[in-house]
Parts: sequence; structure tokens; C-alpha cells
Amino acid sequence: MIMSPCSHEIEVAELLRRGQWPASCSPELRAHVNACRACGDLVLVTETFLHARSETAGAARITTPGALWWRAQLRRRNAAVERIGKPILGAQIFALAINLFMVVAFLAYQARNGLGWLSWLEQLPDAYNLHFNNLSQSALLNPGWSLIVLVPALATLALLGAVVVYLASEKQ
Amino acid sequence: MKEPLPMHRESVLPNVLAGDAPRAAESPMDSDAFAGFYERSARPLWAYLARVSGDSSLADDLMQESFVRFLCASQPEEGEVAGRRYLFRIATNLLRDHWRHPRQASIEEIPEEFFAVTTSSGEADILGPALARMSPRERQLLWLAHAEGYTHREIAAITGLAAASIRLLLFRARRKIASLLRQQSSTIRRQP
Repeated sequence: MIMSPCSHEIEVAELLRRGQWPASCSPELRAHVNACRACGDLVLVTETFLHARSETAGAARITTPGALWWRAQLRRRNAAVERIGKPILGAQIFALAINLFMVVAFLAYQARNGLGWLSWLEQLPDAYNLHFNNLSQSALLNPGWSLIVLVPALATLALLGAVVVYLASEKQ
Repeated sequence: MKEPLPMHRESVLPNVLAGDAPRAAESPMDSDAFAGFYERSARPLWAYLARVSGDSSLADDLMQESFVRFLCASQPEEGEVAGRRYLFRIATNLLRDHWRHPRQASIEEIPEEFFAVTTSSGEADILGPALARMSPRERQLLWLAHAEGYTHREIAAITGLAAASIRLLLFRARRKIASLLRQQSSTIRRQP
């Protein structure tokens, strides 16, 4: 398609924009528009679109601005919360990484020293062995494995796990 | 020696429900100014969205989202005219996102039937059927140029197209829709 603009287009467009077409239009210009395809298209399309605009705008279902205003404020607030929460999330990830590292190190250490420490589980039904002093004594007698280390480590892991779960649920 | 003030998380956030959101969130417009801007801009924006998308329900949703995003923008353009232009830009981007979803394709690659205009203003609407046969991009350009009266440069800013290409695209779209409108008018005239 070859673009063939008309020198009168700007003048016609200006009249249409001001709403002065065809009232304030000279007879010469009107005759030109009738003969010129580019200007004829411009007038036809602009008049049709302006008519459709006023008609469609009148049919618009407009809500109250207040609701949108508060919705925007809440969204801004949530965005601010998210911005502030980013460093906290970083700290959580760091803590989780440290925790995992400790677990892996602990398991690696235990794997190297064998799983002999599991023998205490065989005596678990015997409530006598659950007494702290006895645990301490057995720990002292068995340098390969220390229940004094194991019990607090497991407790710490459980606690940290619970904190991680809590933080994850809070985030959701 | 003064004690440092306690720094709570909530203290640095706008207390929306307490009503101090505009000050704390450094909103670009207060609620009264926004209400005036909304009254003047909502209907033209809705008309644009409804006519270009062909879906009045979608126009409702996108109009609300456009205003919310406009208010959330960190530095929206100053002034009524620039603000409205910015609003149309947001709405245009939302339309484009809507058309792209769920298909991850370019707006130009989606068949025109997908965007069939269903909005009708009722009595003898010759623009609706003609618009239905135009591509979404053509509809946007035509509406912004002929219904809103934006210049080529402003249309380029709103649509993200190169300013140099707007003139040619608009010329082609105008010629196409003009012939469709003439066909439509002659069809209506021939009907008893």
C-alpha cells in the first residue's frame, strides 16, 4: 500500500479535534474532502470513533474511586512489607543453610565413627536407662558416642525445624 | 545520652487502616485529587478497553487494575494530561498481557478471531463489526488517534511502538477501517 498523505489532512484533523467540522469549514475544504480519499477516510473514521467514544463512555460501569484508592494503598503497603521482609528472608535462608550443614556434618561424623551408638536403643524399653545420670555415665564410659551431645543436638534440630515450619507457614 | 528509638517493623509501614496511608506511603495523589482524576478519566479509559478488547467485563477488571497500578506507581507523570497518558499506557500493557496469557506468543501471532469484538452499543453500531475485523494493534492505534486524539508521538509512548512506524501503521489501519465502514454503511442502507 502506497502512503499518499494529503496536505489538508492536518487542517481537517484540527477541525475535527475541535469539533468544528463541518460548521467552521470553508466550502473549498469541504469540496476537497469530498474528492480526496485520504481526507474522506480521516473524516469518516474520526467522526465514527468520536461517536462511538461518547456512546461507549456513557455505558461505562464506574465504581467508586474510594475503593480503588484504598486498594492501591493496601497494595503499596504490602509491597513495603515485602521490601522489608527481604533481608529477613535472607537471614532465614542463611539459618537454614547453617542448620543443614550442621546436620550433614553430624551425620558424616557419625558415619565415620560407626553406628555402634545405636546399641543404646536396644536398652530403651528399660526406663532405668533413660535417667539423665545414667545417660551421662554411659556417655562418659563410651567416648565414641556421647548422648550428652546427641540429645541436645536432636532437641536443637527439632526446635529449629519447628521455627522453620512456623516461618514458612507465616509467609504463606 | 538519649536512648535510640525502638525500630519496629510496623513503624516504617503506612498504617492504611488508621488512615495515614497517603502521608506514609508518599502517594503521588491525595484521595480528593484522585477522585477528580478518576471522574474525568474512568469513562474514556473504559471505552478504550471495552472497544479494543471487545469485552465489557474485561474492561471493568482492567480499568480497576489500571487505576490501582497508576496509584502504586512510584513516580507517575505529573499533570492531568500526562497522567491520563500514563494511565492509557498501563491499560495498554494490561491488555497485551491479557492477550498473551495463557499463550506465550506475540500479540501479532494470535489470530484475529481470538479477539473478536462482542461489545455492542446497541443501535446501528457500524463500528463494532468493522473493529472485529481489525487486529488488536490496529484497534489500539485507531482508538488512540481518532477517539482520544493522541499525536503519533503520544501513541508511540503509550503502545511502546517506534514513533516513526506509527504514521504508516495508522495510515494503513485507517484506510482499512474506512473501507469496512463504507461497506457496512452500504449494507445497512440496502436493508429494508
